[in-house]
Amino acid sequence: MSWDQFIYFAMGALLLWGTGAALAYGPKRKIISTLFTLGGLMLFFAFIAGLWVSLERPPLRTMGETRLWYSFFLPVAGLLTYLRWNYRWILSFTTILSAVFIMVNLLNPDIHNKVLMPALQSPWFAPHVIIYMFSYAILGAVTLIAIYYLIRGKRIKEPARIMEMTDNLVYAGTACITLGMLMGAIWAKEAWGHYWSWDPKETWAAITWIGYLIYIHYRLKRSSSNKIAMVILIIAFVMLQICWYGVNYLPSAKQSIHTYSS
Amino acid sequence: MKNSSRHIWEQPWGYREGILIAAGIGLSGLILQLFLGNIHPTLFAAPLNLIIGALFMTGLLAVYLLARKRPLGRWLTSVAATLPALALFLLLSIFLGVIPQFPSGSETALPDNLFTSLGWYRMTTSWPFVLICFYLLLILGLTTLRHTTRKQEWRDIGFYLNHLGLFIALLGGVLGSADMERLTMRVQEGQVEWRGTTATGALKELPLAIQLDSFLLEEYPPKLVVIEHESGRMLPTERPESYMFEGVGKTTDLAGYTVEILEFLPHAAIFSNDSITRVVPMLMEGATAALRVRVTPEGGAAPKEGWVSNGSYLYPHSLLRIDETRSLAMPLQEVKRYTSHVTLYTEEGHTRKSLIEVNHPVMMEEWMIYQYSYDDTMGKYSDTSVFELVRDPWLKVVYTGIFMLLAGALFLFFAGPKKSRS
Repeated sequence: MSWDQFIYFAMGALLLWGTGAALAYGPKRKIISTLFTLGGLMLFFAFIAGLWVSLERPPLRTMGETRLWYSFFLPVAGLLTYLRWNYRWILSFTTILSAVFIMVNLLNPDIHNKVLMPALQSPWFAPHVIIYMFSYAILGAVTLIAIYYLIRGKRIKEPARIMEMTDNLVYAGTACITLGMLMGAIWAKEAWGHYWSWDPKETWAAITWIGYLIYIHYRLKRSSSNKIAMVILIIAFVMLQICWYGVNYLPSAKQSIHTYSS
Repeated sequence: MKNSSRHIWEQPWGYREGILIAAGIGLSGLILQLFLGNIHPTLFAAPLNLIIGALFMTGLLAVYLLARKRPLGRWLTSVAATLPALALFLLLSIFLGVIPQFPSGSETALPDNLFTSLGWYRMTTSWPFVLICFYLLLILGLTTLRHTTRKQEWRDIGFYLNHLGLFIALLGGVLGSADMERLTMRVQEGQVEWRGTTATGALKELPLAIQLDSFLLEEYPPKLVVIEHESGRMLPTERPESYMFEGVGKTTDLAGYTVEILEFLPHAAIFSNDSITRVVPMLMEGATAALRVRVTPEGGAAPKEGWVSNGSYLYPHSLLRIDETRSLAMPLQEVKRYTSHVTLYTEEGHTRKSLIEVNHPVMMEEWMIYQYSYDDTMGKYSDTSVFELVRDPWLKVVYTGIFMLLAGALFLFFAGPKKSRS
């Protein structure tokens, strides 16, 4: 399996996810749209697994490979949210965002490359990156909800219920970025000699984390405004994007030992 | 901020006071920074860090005991105090994440501009950053203490794991940062070394010695690329392609050419003069990898056949010229793993054989020994291994905090937010 075959799997998965998302708006929707979404996930994961086998290493090293996992986890987060909270629009949102990242990978494909540098050959590699990609997907879904909330404004029917859903997702997402960050710290101690070196990637991981901590603590105050809470979420997600790939374009990036894409 | 009739500094305090106090701390830090410059790392070295830590803990307890029932004590553990402090820390972290940083020990001259005066090139030792850190620790510590006076329920486990865990990890990290020692040590095969070099180049004798029994370096299979020999650039320029050797007889498309692999010598010697190049198998130190290939251009031009090699310290690399402007080349092979077989000795006379490689450090006499580097001019024939030795007496403290936080994160994931609102 190589990137050349990606388009078939991606288009197949998107078709299934799109159908699942569309069916969610119809009657008797829950089971059938879940099945379609799961089908798409299986197809998409078959590609990830095939790539893993053919590369002889976990496909988690390059930016394109992390985007691959992100495109996979977005519908996972969407499906879990849909099953738990029943909002029929969430699946279409996550499918569209997933499609955006699939398009980036199609227009800007990675080069087939088996090389895994010694620093990445560690049992921490896969869990560290996978849990980060999973949390990015949950927090991506949350950002879509925040944008939806701000655009709908006064027309939002049950703001308290949406806020409850948002809180739940943010707690789950923040828990996962905490796990990812601390696994990274323990791994860094094993690989680089120190658990925290303020490498630009680490700094931005901390910034992102603080962003979501601000949301969580802001929401603890009963008098807090829903709108401001949603704006905090959008800003935190911008920080997250900088942490993920934006950091490569910053002046500080020259010193980073955290770049593997070459 | 709802009760707009309340004047500023009038109790009960809210966000306004929180913003002003955080800004005040930032400003005090700024003034200290302008007059004193960055905090010298040795200010936190033992035993001063222990004293600062003890003073801080005493101060924390004193504030807690004296002010817990007063409005100030309540306010200091409130969201209105926490959020502005977090926001200011976030802002300074953004500067830290954008502006290139200079290591604090080095003597390199900093650029002569405003950022230098503000301490932003060494943000983590600048006064505003450190003061805000301690202010956050104060709030975190007080909030944790205050929480113990509540009626406890099972959810509080998560609260303590996260807040106390972060407090321990942060305080341990800040106070322990200057006690950490990092040395590098070069050892040649067959030799014993017991001195390390610090970042500033000073030699330090260690309570342990490393004997390098052997150093092994494994490489990925060789790769082929098409280059422009004027510029040396890989083609196609916008997205360079490469092909990793997978076996003799395979054919691949590479930058518009068909490349067929005819022969592979993992250990070869190359003899060449002006007219001919001879490549022969030779199992010896300094041998190089070589591939014999046939390159066929698109459009039916005559194929070219010949050897390509990436050379070694003994032999120069050799290209296969395809046409006027282009050649087939073999870049240096990428390193798969490198390993040092060592014998470790302590002053007490203990001996231990170990294997050290990247991601697999070895602990000996309080020192973690890491595989750091090797003699890269010799590549896989390097007989020198470079180790990094790290001692961090505060690691156990920080790890206690980190593991509490890990458990707290799992708790957060499964328990979710409190359901009692709405």
